[in-house]
Formats: sequence, C-alpha cells, structure tokens
Amino acid sequence: MEQLFDADLALLHKKRALKQGDPGARFLMQRAAADLEERLATVERRFENAAALFCLTSDAAMAMRESGKVDQVTRIEADAVLLGDDGIVAATETLPSEPGSHDLIVSLLSLHEANDVPGMLAQIRRALKPDGLFLGAMAGAGTLQELRESLLAAETELSEGAAPRVSPFADVRDVGGLLQRAGFALPVTDLENLTVRYDTMFDLMRDLRFMGATSALVARSRKPATRALFMRAAQIYAERFSDPDGRIRASFNIIWMSGWAPHESQQKPLAPGSAKMSLKEALEKNRGE
Amino acid sequence: MNDEKRDGQAVSAVAPMDGKLLELLVCPLTKGPLRWDRENGELVSKSAKLAYPVRDGIPIMLPSEARPLD
Repeated sequence: MEQLFDADLALLHKKRALKQGDPGARFLMQRAAADLEERLATVERRFENAAALFCLTSDAAMAMRESGKVDQVTRIEADAVLLGDDGIVAATETLPSEPGSHDLIVSLLSLHEANDVPGMLAQIRRALKPDGLFLGAMAGAGTLQELRESLLAAETELSEGAAPRVSPFADVRDVGGLLQRAGFALPVTDLENLTVRYDTMFDLMRDLRFMGATSALVARSRKPATRALFMRAAQIYAERFSDPDGRIRASFNIIWMSGWAPHESQQKPLAPGSAKMSLKEALEKNRGE
Repeated sequence: MNDEKRDGQAVSAVAPMDGKLLELLVCPLTKGPLRWDRENGELVSKSAKLAYPVRDGIPIMLPSEARPLD
C-alpha cells in the first residue's frame, strides 16, 4: 500500500511536542476531549472496559473517566513516553487487543495521520464486543485550507512548482462510507467547524509544532524551505484570510465518527420486499387523516 | 548482547502485570494468544515466536522490541 505519512516522523513530532509541553497548544485536544465527554454523557450505557486508542495525551482518558460512564480505561499509544506510567505500547496502526475485548474505543485527533484508515476501523470494530461503541474524532477536509493555499501560492510564485506541505484530509461523506464498510452498525458522522484566529501565520505554525501536528508527509519536500517562502506565504495569508482587525483565520474541521459493533438488539432496516403495505397506500392513508 | 544480562535486566524490571489487562492482549503480528512469563517478565507469543517485554508494568507490544524465541 502507498504510504502517505511517515509514521516515525509523525511520532517524533508528537514526542517533541510533549517534551516542549506548551499548554496553549493543547486547546484543540482539550476541546475534543470536552466534546467527547459531552457525547458520552448522552449515551445511556455504562462501559466496563474502554480503550483510549492513540489519543496522544491523557486528555481523552481523563474525559472518559470523568464522564462517569466508564469503569476502566486502558491507554494504548505508539510510544511509552506518551503514556507516562500506565497503558500499552503498540506499533503504529495496530491494535493488539483480543477480538471483543472492549465495549468502548475512543480515538481523538490521530486517525487523519493513519495510512490505512479502513484497516484501523476494521481492527477497532473487531476489538469491540457486540453492541460496543466506537467514538472518534479526526481532522477533516477544509482543515488548514488557508495555510495550504497560502503556501501553495507563495511556492509557485517563488519556484517552479510546489511540494505538498499540508496533509490531505478526508471528506465527511467518505468517512461515513468507511465506517459502514468496516462493519459498524448505526454509523453517524458529523462535522465540528472551528475557526481559530492568530496574529500571523507564524503563530499558527508555532502552535502546530507544539501540537506535534507539523507535516509528516512522505512526499514532503526534502529541500529546506527558505525564509523567503514563509515570508511571502505569511503575506498572502494576511491578504486573503484576515479579519478587519488584521488577525488571520485558521480552520479546523473536526469529523466526529460513531458506530456500534453489530448486535441483535439494535434497530435494523427491514429486508427489501418485506413491507406489508405499499408506499402508495401509506401515503393515501396519511392524506386521509 | 548476551542472554544472561538481558534476562537479568528483564527480571529487575518486573512489575505486577494486571491480569485483566493481560486477558485483553494479543500478539500484534499474528493476533494469537499471549502467555505471561513471570520469570522473565515477558509476554510470550508462541505463534510469532516472540517475547514482548513488560517495562514498569507497560507491555511493549512492538515486534521491534521483542526477543525472538527459537
């Protein structure tokens, strides 16, 4: 399979970000964790054995514990450094859990850097008990579009052609299809659009670095980017995407996914042809009332 | 690296392994079952012929970190 992301480099970015530990750059993860807590609160269920899969920080596990719906949370990360003192270390994009061992699996803000998203979803689905829940969030199409456009415009202007510098992100409609393909029942996706404002493009890039979210694309340019490129890109960014007060906008479009491992108790569509009443009859009946 | 030293390190790093957690784990390569080797502080995957280390109570389920068994 074609590798889009350099998993080792992505992990290196995350570890560096953790070491720098800039509290301001955690806003995206904290917000996702708060959303997670809210989403869990609406589920009328208790979960005995949950896993926080590649959630990078402890925010997700903490939100799960604080939701009051989860008895036990196991953290699974790609490196022991990310774990602190508790959890399991697993290779990138592998879930070393017995089939049917969790009743809740959560993944926050890392699936957009997976090379094989369908494969990840299939593994998650398999590790869930029947009627177990998967809740995930990842960056979706439109995320950092302003940065992408500014860098692209600056680079085509200054050199012959341009290298990809911002990851491609999945569309919310495709993600729904992926959930279905992985065998999840009652799959739901929705989109949370977040606009963050910065003084300059450099402040945005600084936050991305502190999130460990800088580009880990395999096809990234191996030539060091010049200062002139970033200066010009920042200029274009300010020209095209700033508010009247001069601050620039950055979009983060977070796709939320949820799906259940199939179970008999769940509602299902009836088999085609099993209807006892024709649509025509139903409509006429309705009109008569 | 000689085997004796390796085992010595492993023994010193043995921390109690949560039995419930152990039940959930499989070998990431073969998805086969794991056996807890208390003596060496390792999780043994018979199907992959690998022993995964457990350091400070954290199972390291990485084939690159595992000790090959023959």
